Amino acid sequence: MKEEKGTWAQMASRVEELGRLAQDLYDASEDFPAVNRNAKRILASLEVLRINLEKIAE
Amino acid sequence: MNKAIRYWNPYLEVLPRESLGELQLKKFKRILRWAYDRSRFHRALYQEAGLRPEDIRTWEDVRRVPKVEKSMMRTVQRKDPFPYGEALCVPLDDVTEFHQTSGTTGQPVYQPDTWQDWEWFSECWATLLWAQGYRPHDRVFLPFGYNVFVAFWTAHYACEKIGCEVIPGGVLDTQARILKIQEVRPTAMMATPTYVLGMADVAEKKLSLNPASDLGIRKITCAGEPGALIPSTKRRMEQAWGAKVFDHAGATEIGAWGFECEAQSGGLHINEAMFMAELEDLETGEPITQAGRPGKLVITALDRLAQPCIRFDAKDIVELSDEQCECGRSFRLLPKGVFGRADDITKVKGVLLAPTAIEEVVHAFPGIGDEYEVVVDKKGDVDHILLKVEMLEPGTPAAKELEAKLRTELRVKTNLGYDIEVYHYGSLPRYEVKARRFKDLRHKGAA
Repeated sequence: MKEEKGTWAQMASRVEELGRLAQDLYDASEDFPAVNRNAKRILASLEVLRINLEKIAE
Repeated sequence: MNKAIRYWNPYLEVLPRESLGELQLKKFKRILRWAYDRSRFHRALYQEAGLRPEDIRTWEDVRRVPKVEKSMMRTVQRKDPFPYGEALCVPLDDVTEFHQTSGTTGQPVYQPDTWQDWEWFSECWATLLWAQGYRPHDRVFLPFGYNVFVAFWTAHYACEKIGCEVIPGGVLDTQARILKIQEVRPTAMMATPTYVLGMADVAEKKLSLNPASDLGIRKITCAGEPGALIPSTKRRMEQAWGAKVFDHAGATEIGAWGFECEAQSGGLHINEAMFMAELEDLETGEPITQAGRPGKLVITALDRLAQPCIRFDAKDIVELSDEQCECGRSFRLLPKGVFGRADDITKVKGVLLAPTAIEEVVHAFPGIGDEYEVVVDKKGDVDHILLKVEMLEPGTPAAKELEAKLRTELRVKTNLGYDIEVYHYGSLPRYEVKARRFKDLRHKGAA
């Protein structure tokens, strides 16, 4: 369980990295709807990933 | 992916109860703050109660937060922004999904969702479908015409998320749906209990098919009505289809908050990672925390953002259990699931009567059809219950004997007397969604 928790905590930190990348894509794509809307959708999915792993590192 | 993993979320679903409580309290504070800062409706409601988000520190504080009733949402939605009104917490541009309640009890309530909300709703469904054994190899048939009601939309997306193949079976009549099942051999299906039984009936009587041996459905997830946890109704469905039948509970304004797992313990798990459920005494409104005492469900969707659902009076009647389910989930169990609605449970001759209790008796008699109707009315000043049932050969001595047994069993199980009318098979109305079999005519307007 302890080992799993460590792996899951790493997953949570990867989600934050992904979030930063997706946010960058979203911010940079105001004039590129195909990137902008898909990046926004990824950001929505990332929030659900955060919900799934919430408090795991605490 | 390891398909043998029992839990969709092996972290949250077995979280120790104490940690689960901490997570819920953290989330509750967060959603309350979110709503207070963004929704004029919620802010006014809490200010009127003299409450600020920072006042919420403990579970006792949570119980001070005013409840929200459906009727309040109807009033709120008459205001701007159209059509959702003052409880909307996101810009209209961020709303990507419109749905509405069925309007069974009045003006429908509109439900906005963002992409994130929709992902979250599907996630709740994915949790329950995984718990019921749905895996990527499943082919799932949805015999339902998706529309403005939320029913089965997120089930569809959850199936996609899991990796199941989804067959949308809308805009077909019942016979065409059965033939499609025969043609493409899905392994699972979702429908209301009424329709599950209705389809089996049509398959047998109109198409000469035996669903259990000819159609190959092995899992059925029910929604919309309580039948899948009424033992006699569940048994009828499982026998007719040769499938395991599972219940789930949810609502448009709340989300998919409860589910039966593969262990089939006879109850529903509350998905306590995503929802916070409280119980209240039906008459006094006092909180109920102990097992075995029926109460009314007050529920919070902890992560739904566009139109928050905070301490919503769900009007579902449930009771808690302290039993641990053999599936290993730490989510609390509700034995018998949702076994009544505060709107439907009524006093007849001073005795509390739940329509599900009548169904449990009716469906326990193999010679009586699936459809039935209950009409409560007054004869003079006295309450009177009429039960309409179907039999294959009414009027025969065997039918009369069955009727007498039914009357006795109803008296034993509900402590009430009934007049029984027996109709020929196929005479009573058939329903596809939300059957209205219980009619209380004692007050102005039928229920």
